[in-house]
Amino acid sequence: MEEEFFIISFESTHYAMLVENKLKEAELKVNLIPTPRIITASCGLSLKIDSDVMEDVSKALKSYDLDATMFQIYRVIKNGNENKAIPINIH
Amino acid sequence: MTITIDARGLNCPAPVIKTKKAIESNPNEDFMIIVNNVGAKENVKRLGENLGYDVTVTEKTGDFFLQMSKSCCTVIKENSIINNDVIYVSTDKMGQGSDDLGKVLMKGYFYALTEVKPYPKAVLFVNSGVYLTTEGSEVLEYLRVLADHGVEILSCGTCLNFFNLSDKLAIGDVTNMYTIVEQMNQAAKVIRV
Repeated sequence: MEEEFFIISFESTHYAMLVENKLKEAELKVNLIPTPRIITASCGLSLKIDSDVMEDVSKALKSYDLDATMFQIYRVIKNGNENKAIPINIH
Repeated sequence: MTITIDARGLNCPAPVIKTKKAIESNPNEDFMIIVNNVGAKENVKRLGENLGYDVTVTEKTGDFFLQMSKSCCTVIKENSIINNDVIYVSTDKMGQGSDDLGKVLMKGYFYALTEVKPYPKAVLFVNSGVYLTTEGSEVLEYLRVLADHGVEILSCGTCLNFFNLSDKLAIGDVTNMYTIVEQMNQAAKVIRV
């Protein structure tokens, strides 16, 4: 069974918590999780975003004037025990 | 063959311990356990079910007869993704230093717990840990995943009452200190979060 979702990994814990709060204030469904093992970069915290809300999240992220060097977005495809993380760019 | 254990007149946890010992020495038999108090009935029933027995209870003049037969699901249980560990959660924040960070870490912990198998047998929530099993908790969806796989989610009733959360329990069951002690004593290991 294939599952697809998005992960935003962060360079700093504070930045992850800041962005989580902003997105939650915008009533977007995001979950702060430990960065999945397939993604090695980052402070260890990531936001997990379901595919159906990713478009709204992207729009919100663009409106926040964030430092693009502080985070990276990945499309994650989980297929049984095989996971793939593809870096993507919203800018 | 059915082995009969008369545990009438014994107080908890003696009936549970007696039953457990009998099962360990006779893993392939069925059992008839007789108890005469409700607590013992519930606890022996739960033990039987946890170990993969079908448990039928009949009551006769104040005595409870628990027929425990090897269930058709035993094979599945043996291959189960659940081990015999118990996780003890005594706070709604992980670690000390920053409360904000502690909450984030606790969320991350429960997410990761759903991602790593085997799952524990039970997760016990005491003191402010019960904020995690009640309305408004941010880890309910993860606890739901665990519960759906047969992990027992148990919240301390005294603690729910203390924080005025008794009617806000959103997942799992309410438990008491005797069950908590039994769960810990019977666990392969207890992991404290």
